[in-house]
Amino acid sequence: MAKRSFINRICNSGPLILLYYLCISEVDTNLEKVFEIFTLNFQIILIYFWVLKKPEIMANGHIFLAGLINDVVMGFPLGISSLSYLIIIFVGTYVRNKSVNTTIASDWFTFFMAMIFSSLLFFSLLNNFSDLSFSLSKIGYNLFFTLFMFPVFWILFNLYQISFIGSKDA
Amino acid sequence: MSVSRDDFSIAFRSALLQRGGAQTFSVLSLIFLALIIFFLDIYGAKFTKPIRGFINDVVYRVTFLVSTPTRFFPQVSQDLTNYFNVIEENERLKVELEKYKSLELNVEFLKDENKNLQKILETEYFNQNLSNIILAKVLVDKNSPFLKSVIINKGTRVGVLKGMPVTKDNYLVGRIVETNYLSSRVLLLNDLNSRIPVTLDQGAQAILSGSGSSEPILEYLPEDYEVREAINVFASGKDGIFAPGTPIGKTNEDGEVELFVDPNQLSFVTVNLNIQSKGNL
Repeated sequence: MAKRSFINRICNSGPLILLYYLCISEVDTNLEKVFEIFTLNFQIILIYFWVLKKPEIMANGHIFLAGLINDVVMGFPLGISSLSYLIIIFVGTYVRNKSVNTTIASDWFTFFMAMIFSSLLFFSLLNNFSDLSFSLSKIGYNLFFTLFMFPVFWILFNLYQISFIGSKDA
Repeated sequence: MSVSRDDFSIAFRSALLQRGGAQTFSVLSLIFLALIIFFLDIYGAKFTKPIRGFINDVVYRVTFLVSTPTRFFPQVSQDLTNYFNVIEENERLKVELEKYKSLELNVEFLKDENKNLQKILETEYFNQNLSNIILAKVLVDKNSPFLKSVIINKGTRVGVLKGMPVTKDNYLVGRIVETNYLSSRVLLLNDLNSRIPVTLDQGAQAILSGSGSSEPILEYLPEDYEVREAINVFASGKDGIFAPGTPIGKTNEDGEVELFVDPNQLSFVTVNLNIQSKGNL
């Protein structure tokens, strides 16, 4: 019984562990070496899905801390990734409060809104308050592929939720 | 109508202020905290620099440890491939060695000639003192779509300062843009924010600008200058940061510069402690 509870706890923490690992490790979802324009912001897909489906396994404080770690590793001004993740949480929680039944299509659309708000804040803050410059085409590709890949990860995370966490939404 | 507005405001307020259960902090309080941290970091209050440096050092070390498994497996497969190619490589190297032996005499002659000319011109060889060069290990090489930089395991403790040039096998790799006590960040030549003055084989001057892709581009070339394939590109040293003549890469058919060192394959680099930036980099 205790063993099962421990395994359940590990499974429940899986998305959070993955988020921390992606932020702190060298592992990236940037496949430029394979396909030149393919870059993906996997963290925001991960956060949005779990905030929408099971917010209790993605605590706000942890997401905030993961954002700070991401800033240190990537060399961005501290707090900027946290802000962008918090916007994702905010839109996700709002959609969760407003909707009863969600489908992959509705989640995809609301994710698009969340991603646009979050990226707008992220890049406008960077553009106005730091010396870093960015290629607009790169930002465009990144947003496009993040949006494009959302349904794929939605299905994968859904399978994970059904298999390891339980299908019941809070 | 008013009911729907109420619904909106309740959902909005709830999303911002909701706490309880697993949520110890509300989104609003964390947004305020993130904004405070952001502006403290941007406007560089005196006490934030050492704190940021300490956090950087700790996080970079943890990142290095956490990334060890992901480095190990590609390394093993590369080692195995190298092992099986060793005979073929040996044959190729023998041929190359013969070629370089014949070139060596030529180089000796040119070296002496260069020294004599420098004496005549009374110029000091910029990179004469090579004693102050340190070897550094690449701790973190996270491939970001926006920023191309690596973290090395040497910091202000051994004298690394902002602006110092970083090389690998005497080929220019980038420069230091952030220093901590035990680590530093190197901005690579292919980063969008990188600009360095270069000189081409035929003496033309230009600016090498990172494009965000693996191949930087040449800007501000002389008018009517036609970029051909296989023109060598060197640092001109006009900025007083990079040693003049440091090889960087060669041009390809598209006019971009193929770097001699692949920026995605760095494991050890050298930092020249003699040269430091002047002014804002």
